Amino acid sequence: MGTYLNMLPVTAASVIVTAGLYLAEKKTPFGTWKPRVRQWICGVIFGILAICGTEFGADAEGITLNVSTAPPLCAGLIFGAPAGIISGVIGGVERYFATFWGAGYYGRFAGTFSILFAGLAAAGMRRFMFDDKKPAWYYGLFGGIIAEVVDMLILLLSRIDDIRSAFHMVEFGTLPLVLMNGATVMFALLAVSAIGKPARKKKKNREQLAHAFQKWLLVCVTLAFLATGVFTFWIEDGISRSQNESVLRLNLFDVQKDIEEASDKNLLEIARRVKDWMEQKETDKDMDFRDMADVASSFGVAEVDIIDERGIITASNRDGVIGYDMAASEQSAAFLVLLNGEQEYVQRYQPSGQDSSIYRKYAGIALEEGGFLQVGYDAERFQADIDEQVSYAANNRHVGEKGYVIICDEDWTVVSDTHDHKGRDLSDTGYRLDEDNTPQLSAFEAEVCGQDSLCMYLKSEGYYIIAVLPEKEAVFARDVSIYLSIFMEIIIFTVLFILIYILTRNLIVDNIHKINRSLTLITKGNLDVEVDVRSNEEFASLADGINSTVHTLKCYIKEAEARIDKELALARDIQRSALPSVFPPYPGRSEFDIWAGMRPAKEVGGDFYDFYMLGENRLVFLVADVSGKGIPAAMFMMTAKTQIKSLTETGISVEEVLTEANEQLCANNDAGMFVTAWMGILDLETGKVEYGNAGHNPPLLRRADGSYEYLKSRSGLVLAGMEGIRYRKNELTLRAGDVIYLYTDGVTEATNAGKELYGEERLINRLDQIPAENPEAICRGVMRDVDDFVGDAPQFDDITMLCLKYRGCGAEITVDAAMDQIDRVLRFVDGQLKAAECPPKTAAQIDMAVDEILSNIIRYAYGDGSGKATVRVEITQQPSAVLTFIDRGSPFNPLEKEDPDVTIPAKERQIGGLGIFLVKNTMDEVDYEYREGANRLRIVKKWQ
Amino acid sequence: MNIKKTKTGNELTIALSGRLDTSTAPLLEQELQNCLTGVESLIFDLASLEYISSAGLRVLLYAQKVMSRQGKMTVRGANDMIMEVFDITGFVDILTIE
Repeated sequence: MGTYLNMLPVTAASVIVTAGLYLAEKKTPFGTWKPRVRQWICGVIFGILAICGTEFGADAEGITLNVSTAPPLCAGLIFGAPAGIISGVIGGVERYFATFWGAGYYGRFAGTFSILFAGLAAAGMRRFMFDDKKPAWYYGLFGGIIAEVVDMLILLLSRIDDIRSAFHMVEFGTLPLVLMNGATVMFALLAVSAIGKPARKKKKNREQLAHAFQKWLLVCVTLAFLATGVFTFWIEDGISRSQNESVLRLNLFDVQKDIEEASDKNLLEIARRVKDWMEQKETDKDMDFRDMADVASSFGVAEVDIIDERGIITASNRDGVIGYDMAASEQSAAFLVLLNGEQEYVQRYQPSGQDSSIYRKYAGIALEEGGFLQVGYDAERFQADIDEQVSYAANNRHVGEKGYVIICDEDWTVVSDTHDHKGRDLSDTGYRLDEDNTPQLSAFEAEVCGQDSLCMYLKSEGYYIIAVLPEKEAVFARDVSIYLSIFMEIIIFTVLFILIYILTRNLIVDNIHKINRSLTLITKGNLDVEVDVRSNEEFASLADGINSTVHTLKCYIKEAEARIDKELALARDIQRSALPSVFPPYPGRSEFDIWAGMRPAKEVGGDFYDFYMLGENRLVFLVADVSGKGIPAAMFMMTAKTQIKSLTETGISVEEVLTEANEQLCANNDAGMFVTAWMGILDLETGKVEYGNAGHNPPLLRRADGSYEYLKSRSGLVLAGMEGIRYRKNELTLRAGDVIYLYTDGVTEATNAGKELYGEERLINRLDQIPAENPEAICRGVMRDVDDFVGDAPQFDDITMLCLKYRGCGAEITVDAAMDQIDRVLRFVDGQLKAAECPPKTAAQIDMAVDEILSNIIRYAYGDGSGKATVRVEITQQPSAVLTFIDRGSPFNPLEKEDPDVTIPAKERQIGGLGIFLVKNTMDEVDYEYREGANRLRIVKKWQ
Repeated sequence: MNIKKTKTGNELTIALSGRLDTSTAPLLEQELQNCLTGVESLIFDLASLEYISSAGLRVLLYAQKVMSRQGKMTVRGANDMIMEVFDITGFVDILTIE
C-alpha cells in the first residue's frame, strides 16, 4: 500500500496537469495558438512529468518504481501525436542520462526504451487508430498497462544474464507499475471527457460498426489472452514440475548408487576376507555348522554359506538351510552366475529368498574347487561400515542450486544433511516422513528446514534418501517463463488487436463509409455518382452492383421521363388547342380587339381563358384559375371550360351561367378542386358588359381617356366550392377605346429570386406605360416585364391574361337621302379610312363604292318621298373596311339585278346598272339583308 | 372636280382632276354639251383624276358617242384604279386609251 502511496504524487500530477491543459485549450486563448506551438508546449510539460516520474520513484523491496511512461501516453493520446513524441523523447533521453545522478543503472535501457515507446505508441495510436481524437478511457488503461509490460519485458530480456535480480524486480514491480500507469492514463482520460463535452450524446442509437468491432475485438483478444495465459501457466507448471521431479529423482538415484557401491564394496571385501581366511585354515570342504558359525561371528556377518557345483547349500552357519537349492528363489538364483564362470557377485539389500521377512545383503565369490561362498549381512552391520561414505555422498550433493539431500537410517536418525542435523532425528528438520502414505520417487510438497520445498525420497540399503528442492527455486524457472510468455502474449495480442483493427478499418469500415458517402449523394438525386471502391473483390462487386442498379434506375427514369414528357407534351397540345389561339380571332369584326395567352408553370396548367361569339352581337370572355397545378388542374379546367361554354351557349345570362356551372362542378368534384372565374358578356353594339365574378381577382379597366383602375365588384364564392351558391350580375358599359385587362394571380404573384412578388402596383404602373392601342402588345408588354422581374427564378404558377379593347360599334353617319349629301358622306368615310391608314387606291375604290351605292339609295329608295340614309364604317383587324348602308326605303336588293353586258360596243351600250356591277367587282364582299325595316347593304374591302 | 379645257384648232383637251362621280359627272356632261361643237379630236387627260364612278363612265360614254360621229376621242393618263374600272366595265374596248 505504501508503494502505491509513494507513486501517487506523480500519478496525480499527471492527471491534474492533463485536466488543466485541456481546460486551458478549451476555455482560454491558449486554444487559439498555433497547433504546432501547443503541441510543443504539451510535449515539454509531459516530458517534464516523465522526468519527475523517473526522479521521484517509489522504493519498495529494494527496487525503485517509476511512473514515467504515463505522461507521454497522456500527451500523445489526449493532446496529439507530436506532443506524445516530444514528451517521450524528453523523458526517454533524461532516463538514459539519469543514471549519472542516481537513477538505477539496472533498468536504464528498459526505462529509456519504454518511455520512448510510450510516446511513440501513443502518437501512433492516436494518429492511426483513433482518427486524431482522444480515445475512450479503457484504451488509456490498456495503453498504460502495455507500456509497463513493455518496460518489464525489456528489463527481463536486457538482463537475461542476471535473470534472478531482473526477475526479482519484475516480480515485485510489475503489479504496482502496471496498475499505477494504467490508472494514471485512465483517470486522465476520464477527467478530460468529464470536462470536455458532457452534453455530447450520440444521437445515433446504433453503434458504429468500427466501435462495435473495436469492442468485440477487445473482448475476444482479452479472452484469448486469458485462455492462452492459463494454458501457458498449465504447460509451464507441468514442464517445471516434471523437470523438478527428474532433478530430484536423478539426485536420489545418484546417492543410492553411491551408497550401494559403498556397501557392495564393503561386503565383497568381507566375503573375500572370509574366503581367504577359510583357505588359510585349509579346512575341508565339509565344514559343519559350528565351524560356519564361528566364521560368521568372527567376521561379524549374519550368514555364511558354501554352495556346491550343483547350487545346493552344503554348509551354513544357519540351521535348516543345508540342502537348499539356490535356484529355488529369484533372489538366491541370481547367485548361480558364479557357477558359470563369474568370480564375484554382490546383491543389493533386499528380502532373503529363503525367508522374505529377513532383509539382507548378500555377496558371493566363486571357489577354486567349484561351488561358491556366499556371505550375507544385515543393515546395522554394513551401515556401521559405510556411514561415513554415505554422509560424504550426501554432503557433496546439490539438488539444483539450493536444494540438498537428507539421508537417515531406518530409525530416522539423520546420517547426512547440509543443515547440521546429523545424528539427530529427522523430525528435527521440521519434517516427518510418513512412509506408508508417501510412495517412493514421487514428488511431494513439505516444509523442510523452514522452507516450503518440493521433496522426493527413496529407500536404499536400509537408508532413506530424501531430496529436497526449495519451492522458490522449484518455481523460479516456471515463473520466469510464465512472466515472459505472458508479457509476450500481451504485446503480441495488442499488436494483433491494433493490426486487425487497422486492417478492418482500412479494408471494411473505410470502404463502407466511402460507399455510404456515394449513396448519400445518389439518394440526394445525383445519379451520376459512381461508387468506386476497388480495394477487394467483395467491395468491388458491391460497388459494381450499386453502380449497375443506379445505372438501370437512371435508364428507367430516363425512359419514364421520356414517356411522361411525351404524354405531357400531348396533354399540353390538347390543352392549348382547347383555348382559342388564333389571333385575330374575328378578323371581320371591327368592334373589338382581343388577345389572350396562358403560360403554364408545368407542361399543363390549371388556368384558362376563353372567348367566343354569342350570336352576331355578343362576345363572351372569361379568365379562370383552377386550384392546383399540373394534370389534375388541367383536367378540371377542361371540364369547367366546357361546362361554362355549353351553359353560356344556351343563352342564359352570366349570373345563371355561373350558378349553374357551380352546381354541375360541385356534383362531380371528388378531388375537392375549385375554380375562380371572371366572366363577361359584351354587347358589341351597345358596349354593355354583363359580368359575374366567382372568387377571381378583379380585372383592370382603362377608360379611353384615363388610366387603369381595378374593376371592383362584389365577388361570389369560387366555383365548385359549395353547392347552392347564387351568383350576382354586374353591369358596365364600355365606350369606344376602353380596354379591359383580365389576369390570374400568376401575374401578380410571380416571384423573383429575392422572394419578392410582382404585385398589383407594379402591374398597374406597367400597364399605364404601354400604349393602350393593341391588346396583344399590352399582354406581351406585361409578360415581358414579368419575365424581366422574375429573372432566373422558376415559375410557380400558371400565368394567364386576356385583354379586350372595345372599339365601339364603328363610326356612322346618317344623312338625308339627297345628292348634295354624298360629298359629306364621302368626307366622313375618307376620314375614317385615312385614320385606318387605308392605301389611297383602296380608299378611292371604297369612295367609288360609296358613291355608287349612296346615289342608288338617293335615287330609288324613297321613290318620290324623302328619307334618311346611314353609312356605318368599321375598320377591322384584317385590315379591312366594313361599310354598311342602311335605308328605310322600300325593300330592294340591288345585288339581284342582272349584271350588264360589258362586251358590247359603245353605240349599243345602255348606261345604267354599271354602278352595282362595279361595286361587286371591286369590293371583296357585298351582301344585302333586309332587317328590322331597313335595307342593309354591307361591303367589305380588305387591304394589305 | 376641276375641269381644265385647252383648245388648239379643232382639238380639245380636257384635263380632269379630283373625282368624277355622281355629284360631279353632271357638271362635266353640261360642259361637254357646250363645247364639243366643231371639235374633231377630244382628249381626256385623267392624270390628276382620283377616281371615276359609274356616273363618270356614263359621261365618258356620252362623249365617246358624240365624238365617234364628228372625230375621235382619246383618254390618257388614267391611274390604276380608273384603269381597273375601265377593265371591269369593258370600257377598254370602247375607249381609245393611251
